Amino acid sequence: MEAPDEELMLAYGRGDAGAFEMLYRRHRGPLYRFVLRAIKQRSVAEELFQEAWIRVIEARSRYAPQARFTTWLYTIAHNLLVDHWRKKGLALVSLDTEDVLSESANPARHAEGREALARFLQALEALPAAQREAFLLHEEAGLTVAEIAAVTGANEEAAKSRVRYAMAKLKAAVNDD
Amino acid sequence: MTTDDDKVSLRYRSLAREEPPRHVDEAILAAARRAADARPAPLVAPTGRRRWYFPLAAAAIIILAVAVTMHVERQRPDLEIAEALVAALPKTREGELKRELEPRAQRRAEVLGEVQKPQSVPRAPAPAAAPEPAAARDAASEMREAPGKRAAMQSRAEATAGAVAGLAKASPEQWLQGIADLRRQGRHEEADRALAEFRRAYPDYRISEAMLEKVEKK
Repeated sequence: MEAPDEELMLAYGRGDAGAFEMLYRRHRGPLYRFVLRAIKQRSVAEELFQEAWIRVIEARSRYAPQARFTTWLYTIAHNLLVDHWRKKGLALVSLDTEDVLSESANPARHAEGREALARFLQALEALPAAQREAFLLHEEAGLTVAEIAAVTGANEEAAKSRVRYAMAKLKAAVNDD
Repeated sequence: MTTDDDKVSLRYRSLAREEPPRHVDEAILAAARRAADARPAPLVAPTGRRRWYFPLAAAAIIILAVAVTMHVERQRPDLEIAEALVAALPKTREGELKRELEPRAQRRAEVLGEVQKPQSVPRAPAPAAAPEPAAARDAASEMREAPGKRAAMQSRAEATAGAVAGLAKASPEQWLQGIADLRRQGRHEEADRALAEFRRAYPDYRISEAMLEKVEKK
């Protein structure tokens, strides 16, 4: 049986670099896709992805498993995203109502996939940032609504409706096929 | 989950499964290994006859430290103040402060690329780090010559070292309130540094909008 994330993180805090490597291998893909699809700019996403792991490394001795490691990790990533959005002058309130990055549409990237997938990706990218983030936390990190609320600092009702709205818009894109 | 939700999930999973580039993996793992290696080796619990070594050694060190401190205090009060100030000033005002003002990318590169640092986890600056002996002597003589300058330096050092190091020991809420106070007093460099330190110490802490307004630079 595989060691739980929380145990690995505690082991890393005690100096076990191998524990970190296992933890990293488990979460690298989902966290990277979460950041990449939330930000949509590869270079910025890579930067924030690295920064998230650096913060994990730096906080290793303070880590205390009060919640799932996944929740902790994605909270760090969420805080970085929020900082990023703030630096771009976007108020958090607006994240529910607007698509924050109009430069997101990348025709080359869309052309790579099949048409239906491209349409789906376009619909995903067109979601308001908060809804897209909630959806990605659900899909990539496998978080529950309560955990999404904890990560994003929203109340459960808000988190639930973000996931629901995101799902509704994406269903429309799927049903267009 | 409804069938429609499943369809959405399925479609999402059909998208490209992007992975971080290899150089990013390598950089992060190398940084993690360096940080782990930088930890001091754990003390081996003494057994048998050696059981009394550690308490005895600790007691001897404490007695010696107290004796030396009292002796130095009686002999050279000015030099001690100067040493403390010099210890605080270069660490807090120049090295750390400059570092915090660097862009995030540069700091990340430093963490990812550092090789020689014995401790890679940036911590709250130590208020009483060991001073450079020569620098301490220079500062001491300079301060003996200029009492007014000494007072100014002392208050400056106290403000810097006290504010930032003191905050690091507080709870997250108190720490943030301290940063807000620094900001309100116009001590923006210290506030910036303390905020960066806070974010490293509590990366998962969610700062409320109201508090962000107070602690972030306008």
